[in-house]
Amino acid sequence: MAELTYTRVFDAPRELVFRCMLEPGHLTHFWGPAGTSTPLDGITVDPRPGGVFETVMINDADGHSYTMRAVYTEIVPPERIVWSEPGSGMITTSTFTDLGGTRTEVRIHQADVPDSFRSPGDQARFLTSLDRFAAYLETLVS
Amino acid sequence: MTVVDDRLDATFAALADPTRRAILAHLATGDATVNELAEPFDMTLPGISKHLKVLEQCGLISRTRRAQFRPCHLERERLDAAADWIETNRRIWAQRFDKLEAHLRDIQDTGHG
Repeated sequence: MAELTYTRVFDAPRELVFRCMLEPGHLTHFWGPAGTSTPLDGITVDPRPGGVFETVMINDADGHSYTMRAVYTEIVPPERIVWSEPGSGMITTSTFTDLGGTRTEVRIHQADVPDSFRSPGDQARFLTSLDRFAAYLETLVS
Repeated sequence: MTVVDDRLDATFAALADPTRRAILAHLATGDATVNELAEPFDMTLPGISKHLKVLEQCGLISRTRRAQFRPCHLERERLDAAADWIETNRRIWAQRFDKLEAHLRDIQDTGHG
């Protein structure tokens, strides 16, 4: 019952940004956060509901690898990609919004949903915004 | 990275309730008894005790066994762990977005050139 949202506006057409999030040839350029790389041969994308989405991120400093295993649950070009990580129960929804011109907003919404609250209506009722809560936590722990 | 251990799941579930967050905010100012914690809420002592049990089970608070009024104590390490996880996850996406921005610039430059 946790929810996180990250948003960024990119200066590129929506179709292109959408493809970047779905094609290994693009993902290899940006998927790993700073200090890591994501080699092409470590990326598996089967872009259909039930299809596998796996990435192996390698720490540049010590060579340690981290594998993310997910399954696509919804793909709606060029608007939305949803995958879930069976290991953690986390559901990640990427939404692509055309802002006009060549600007595109990408919104990443992550929810960690218990099995009993799987339906969209239940999620909406039970999820609590955690990114706002992060700031609240900091005031408590400081 | 996006590995969520069971205890962290329980922590986030515990934090998802406004009454429990208010209890934690109270305890951040110092230890308190069940009676003191119940005061600001329109809630019975058993109701508050139920919330305290949830907080205790995920390790966010502890209660001394010996003292008569068993004061509650905030376990800051658990809160830190939750805050750390959120921060790490936020950073991963921020850095990923930075790289995607650069990648989009590269391929569009190439396309136009």
